[in-house]
Amino acid sequence: MPGRGSKSVDTDQIKALLKKNKRSMKLRLAACAGCTLCAESCFLFRKKGKDPQYMPSYKVLNTLGRLYRKNGKVSRAELERMRDLLWKNCMLCERCYCAIGVDLPKMIAFARRILRSQGIEGIYPHSLGAPEGEDG
Amino acid sequence: MWLAVVVFTAGIAYRIAELFLLTKKRERVPWPKRGIRVDSPEERKLRPIISFQHSLIGKHPVMAIVSGVFHLCLFGAPLFAKGHALLLRQSWGIHFWSLPSSLVDVLTVIVLLAVLFLFARRALLPRVRAVSGLHDFLLLSIAAAPYLTGFLAYHQWFEYRTVLTLHMLAGELMLIAIPFTKLSHMVFFFFVRGFMVSEHSIARGDRVWSA
Amino acid sequence: MIIATRKQLEVIKEMVKGYRKVLNVGCGGCTSVCLAGGQKEIDDLCTQLTVSLKGDQIVFESAGFTVERQCEPHFLEELDEIVKPYDALLSMGCGAGVQFLAERYPNKPVFPALDTVFIGVNKNIGWYEERCKSCGDCVLGLTGGICPNAMCAKGLLNGPCGGPQDDRCEVDNEVSCAWVKIYERLKAQGRLGDIMKVQPAREWQDQVQGTLVLEAYRDRYAKKEK
Repeated sequence: MPGRGSKSVDTDQIKALLKKNKRSMKLRLAACAGCTLCAESCFLFRKKGKDPQYMPSYKVLNTLGRLYRKNGKVSRAELERMRDLLWKNCMLCERCYCAIGVDLPKMIAFARRILRSQGIEGIYPHSLGAPEGEDG
Repeated sequence: MWLAVVVFTAGIAYRIAELFLLTKKRERVPWPKRGIRVDSPEERKLRPIISFQHSLIGKHPVMAIVSGVFHLCLFGAPLFAKGHALLLRQSWGIHFWSLPSSLVDVLTVIVLLAVLFLFARRALLPRVRAVSGLHDFLLLSIAAAPYLTGFLAYHQWFEYRTVLTLHMLAGELMLIAIPFTKLSHMVFFFFVRGFMVSEHSIARGDRVWSA
Repeated sequence: MIIATRKQLEVIKEMVKGYRKVLNVGCGGCTSVCLAGGQKEIDDLCTQLTVSLKGDQIVFESAGFTVERQCEPHFLEELDEIVKPYDALLSMGCGAGVQFLAERYPNKPVFPALDTVFIGVNKNIGWYEERCKSCGDCVLGLTGGICPNAMCAKGLLNGPCGGPQDDRCEVDNEVSCAWVKIYERLKAQGRLGDIMKVQPAREWQDQVQGTLVLEAYRDRYAKKEK
């Protein structure tokens, strides 16, 4: 499901949201040592051929991390890319594990919230090949 | 030197305070007495194997061992170096234990080897490269520098006074870097694993994030 | 969220021990969140079964694979190739997931590794409580947000039974009387009048499998009525 057309990104709104949880989120982002020990805790990483794009740290650093680094000044295309990372590459099953103790699911959920504020919603795939109903 | 220690101490204290400020005690609610799923006898028997599989060393044996040994020697070498103990006695009159210099030398070499391993891992493994930037390699170098210069100083390679000065500067740089970079995971780790309510906490956990 | 809990190892063993190769299918949805059927639990069960059955001298091989959700055909597609070499499947999804798997692979025995227990909430790590009975006729608006069906042991719709002692349910005094809580909640909101609205008896007869089709999608599945 595409985002709401080519509406421009409301940077101020993103900034306001980022500011709300700035201290705790930035602390977590800073604490990430990039050790990638979180990778095996994600079932998607394990079954998608260990593709680094499914690593919890990758997902968080390239969504929330990027939002904080650019202080909300991101393009729509970047947000669309983040949507893939947050909704396609993550089920928010909250089972990811960090050796240092960074709260990964919270960061994914927060990033999703920011994207939703910009009209970018989750991907909920519809069933393919649904059976035909009875006639008449 | 003073500056480095002050910055380090203040920085660490700030980080710890920050962690406490950002969390709050969890709400105590009465624990239910019904619906408790108890492990069956066979499940209980197999618990040790299962627990091991999920531990850090069960899932990532190489990293767990390297990291463990690395951190042990990282703290051990500077804490128990004879030269450092001597300085402490001379400056502050504190009598601190020290290990034989040859042993500390070995610990230092272990640290340096581990750093090489971590460097290689970060450069070669695609998954680690994917989340790494220049600052990661820089930080690793900052962490390694005091040990490298310490090693050189101990063995009196190159000009002693220069190497020694570099050693001191490197140590100070590392101390200053700790509170402001990801190296503060040294504080974070114990706090989060010990205090926080989580599936993975080592203790029962009494605090939750307020944000 | 659907809460499920794993069957005891001995029970699961009985189900699968007649088969040589079993695929353990996990679910990244509800059962992952409630620590019953996610990847970690898959790994655990595979280990437990292998070690335990080896001890009983039974030839057995199992492997695990977790899909995003077992209730979505789209997510089951990748299993089609994977299940081929296995004699049986063990599902760690909720009851709905088990059945979807069984439907998709009608020639393979599919066993449930979990008992689906209720629709509920996370109180804390490893602590889940029922909140909803999916009765299909929600009265939460009148009861201050407390479900008389799920939270009252007798499912009473029009007030307490007269049995509560010290605000505790007479059926099990470990739980509070739901109607006491409803009363207090409504009183605090100044809505006690809602308690006086009498609810008719529930229609429990129709227990045929539930189906729901949204109006906006109806035309995709059935010819337009002339």
